[in-house]
This record gives sequence, structure tokens and C-alpha cells, in this order.
Amino acid sequence: MDKLPRLRDNLKLMWHYRELLWNLAYREINQRYKQSFLGYAWVILNPLFQLLVMNFVFSTVLKVPSQGVPFIIFLAVGLLPWNFFNNSLSSSVNSLVTNSSLITKIYFPREILVYATIIAKFVDFLFSCTVLLIFFVFFRTTVSINLLWVPVIFIIQVIFTAGLSLITASFNLFYRDIQYLLGLILMLWMYLTPVMYPVDIIPARYRFVFALNPMSVIVNAYRQTVLAHGNPNFSSLAIALIMSLGVFFIGFYIFKKSEGEFADYV
Amino acid sequence: MDTIIKAENLSKVYHLNKQRTFKEFIPAIIGGGETKKTFHALSHLNFEVKKGQSLGIMGRNGSGKSTLLKLIAGVTKPTDGRITVVGQVAPLIELGAGFHPELTGRENVYLNGSILGFKKKEMDALYPSIVEFSELAPFMDQPVKFYSSGMYMRLAFSVAVAETPNILLVDEILAVGDQKFQKKCLKRIKEFQEKGSTMIMVSHDKDMLEKYCDIGLFIQKSHQEFFGPMNEAFKKYEETL
Repeated sequence: MDKLPRLRDNLKLMWHYRELLWNLAYREINQRYKQSFLGYAWVILNPLFQLLVMNFVFSTVLKVPSQGVPFIIFLAVGLLPWNFFNNSLSSSVNSLVTNSSLITKIYFPREILVYATIIAKFVDFLFSCTVLLIFFVFFRTTVSINLLWVPVIFIIQVIFTAGLSLITASFNLFYRDIQYLLGLILMLWMYLTPVMYPVDIIPARYRFVFALNPMSVIVNAYRQTVLAHGNPNFSSLAIALIMSLGVFFIGFYIFKKSEGEFADYV
Repeated sequence: MDTIIKAENLSKVYHLNKQRTFKEFIPAIIGGGETKKTFHALSHLNFEVKKGQSLGIMGRNGSGKSTLLKLIAGVTKPTDGRITVVGQVAPLIELGAGFHPELTGRENVYLNGSILGFKKKEMDALYPSIVEFSELAPFMDQPVKFYSSGMYMRLAFSVAVAETPNILLVDEILAVGDQKFQKKCLKRIKEFQEKGSTMIMVSHDKDMLEKYCDIGLFIQKSHQEFFGPMNEAFKKYEETL
């Protein structure tokens, strides 16, 4: 049980290096849309068009039901957090490799590179939520006090994302196959998560798959609290929290264990 | 005197995978071939650097000098033995490692500062002197991708030497900018030494080594050949050339 004190020491270390964390996150955000005419507006335009296209395919063409709210809102509440998850993972898997020049020259805790990537994607996510806001105003959708659950669900999502990012980033440093594999897994994972459809169109005997998928629990919980004005399913959320913490501890352990060899292999 | 750097039986072994890809790896396993090859980059180094001393490291290409600097900088761990380093290390190895081409000179200065462990406030105080030292004031709001390679190096060097470090690592980088700027850099390094910084320098240049270092370490084929006063160390090194 010496893992907990180590994690506490690590939190102190992160606090010590906080400025580097912000600066790297800032670099990540700032460099991306330099030399583009619309600049950071792409962070909003991208999900907007993604939503419009998917709305046409799944609602207009395929007539997927949407639990009594306009489909595009139903979709956005699931898709925007999914995009945060997807973008965080697919960027952080490369975060160590693209910063190899830093890793081989200067010492600092390497997980900062992964965390900075996630922070940058979090900022993107916040901006992309303006799209949702626009739809809420347009469709006069109401929200309730249950909206306060959203930060709690979101924290679980961040823990899960960070854990997986640490695992994939450190493996990808040794075997670059991971980044390609991850692309495939994320695509499959999106279909196994009720992002584009409600979970109740799935036959009951298959639904256990969704209970074991933290992202599915998280997406459902967002819909439950934001759109259905209810409480999240506490037992599912508790399982998701435990799984997320488990993934994070494993990720942290793997990362710290292999960190000393990063500079030799990158 | 306080010991700043101490290497005890310091060794570094790299494991090189002979077969890097699946296509090569599978036949090797089935055929019973070797899958790993070890490479001794450094074996059994023993030396000590005390506060205020400066160490010159000599050796032919591939003898393990850069690996030693990496071990001192803490970016890689020894396979065997121990290295103890007391104090903040400022690496001047391949300048501008943390620079991002799309960011402006100013943004990169702050980013690089935080990589070296400075706080924002400290950087605010250091910023004017960094710009002055680099002589790049008119270009600070340009992305560094538009800099010439000389300008790039000048800016990186200026950040690295903005504050007196405990330990300065110098890896043959002093080909920075024109002669005038080089002189300025060397003057700055001399000032650091006078203020009590410990310097570790890798070089092949006799004048430079004798001017800046008092002790020398000569490494040949990853083994320590000689450790002691600079002039003797260089003599030993010269004999093998």
C-alpha cells in the first residue's frame, strides 16, 4: 500500500511544476491554429458541422429515436464529451514521441506532457460547448438543478481519460503500433458507446456490455442529468468511478515504472 | 569542499532490439535467434566534482560522452552504480530543444524558462536581460520559424544563461552565432564560474578546455582512461589521437 503516499508526493510535484504544465498546455492550444484564417473558431465549427452531418444521417435518414428531445441536442450531449475523450487519447498517445527532443535533454516529470495535452483538449471542449448552448437557446430546452451532477461525472471521465492516456502514451513510446491500434479501437469504441443512439434500442440481454464500459455510463449519466432532469444511475456511476480509478492507478504505475527508460527508447 | 557530482561505479548499458519489427521478430523467435543485443555505453566510471570546479570531458566520437551528460542531467538512469548530483542542472545541450516553431520568440522564452524550472515572476524579471543578451529585440514577436539558425541559437542560449545555474552542462555548442556573440557567451560562462557554478564541458578544443576546466576526464571506448588535473588528462587524450 505504498502507492498512495507516492501519488501524494506526485501531486506535490505537479504543483511544483504547475507553470510548466500551463505553459505546455498553452503551447498546445496556441500553436495548433496559427496560420489559419479562422483560427480558434475551428474548435467550434468542427463539432458544429459534425453534429449537423450526423443529425442528418441518424435522425433524418435512419430515424433513430432520441428520448423526447430534438435529436441534435440528444446527440450533442453525448458527442461533445466523447470528442473530448477521443481527442485527448489520440493526442496524448503521441505526446511523448513528439516531445522527444525535450525528453532526451532535460529532466522533468514526463506525465506533465500527457496532462498538458488533456488540459488543452479540455479547453477545446469548453469552447465546443458553446455549440450546445446555441442549440439549447434555439430549441428552448430547459435544464434543472440536476445539471450540478455534470462536474462530478466529468471528473470521473477525466480520471478515466488520464489513466488510459498514461498507458497508451508510454506503450507508444516503445511500440509505435499503439497509435494506429488506438485509432481503430476508438472507432469501434464509439459504436459500442451510446453516443449516436439511445441505449434502450439495444436488446436487454446485450446491455451488460454497456455497464462495463465507463464511457457508456458517463454518456448516459450526462443525458440523464442534463436532458431528463433526473439523477444519474448511482450504482453504474460508482462502478464507473471504481473502474476509472483502477485504470488511473494502473496507468500511473506503468508510466512511472517505465519513465526512466523513455529517454533511451524514444 | 562540497561534492556536487559524484559517480560511483557508474555504468550504462543499452539494450538494442536487433529486430525492430514484427516481421523480423517472429522468425527470430521461431528460429531461436538472438532478439536482444546489449551495448555498454559506459562502464565503471568513478569521479568526483567539487563545488566551483569545472570538469572537461574528452573522448573520441561514440566513447560515451553524451551518455554521461544525460546521466548527469537526469534524463536517463544508470544501469549499475550510482550518480549523485546536488543542485539544479542547466543543460546547454542542443539548444532550443523546447522551442516551438509556430510560437513567437517571446512565447518561446517563457516556455523554455518554465522547462528550465523558472516561475513566471522570475521570467518577467529576467526577460529584459534575455532579450538584451540575445540582441533580438525587434524579432521577439515573430514566430521563431522565421528566425535564421543563428538567431534561433542565440535566443536559446540567452534563455539558458539568464540565471546563474548550480551546474552548467556545455556540449560543444559554443558555435553559437558569430564570433562576437561567441565571445559574449564565453564571457558569461566565465562569470558563472567566478560566481561558483560548476561546469561540465565536452570539447575537443585544447585551448577551451585548459581555459575553462581544472579537472579532466578522458573516456575511451566507454571506459574511464584518466581522471585528474586537466593538463595531464588532455596529454593522455592527445597521445591516443
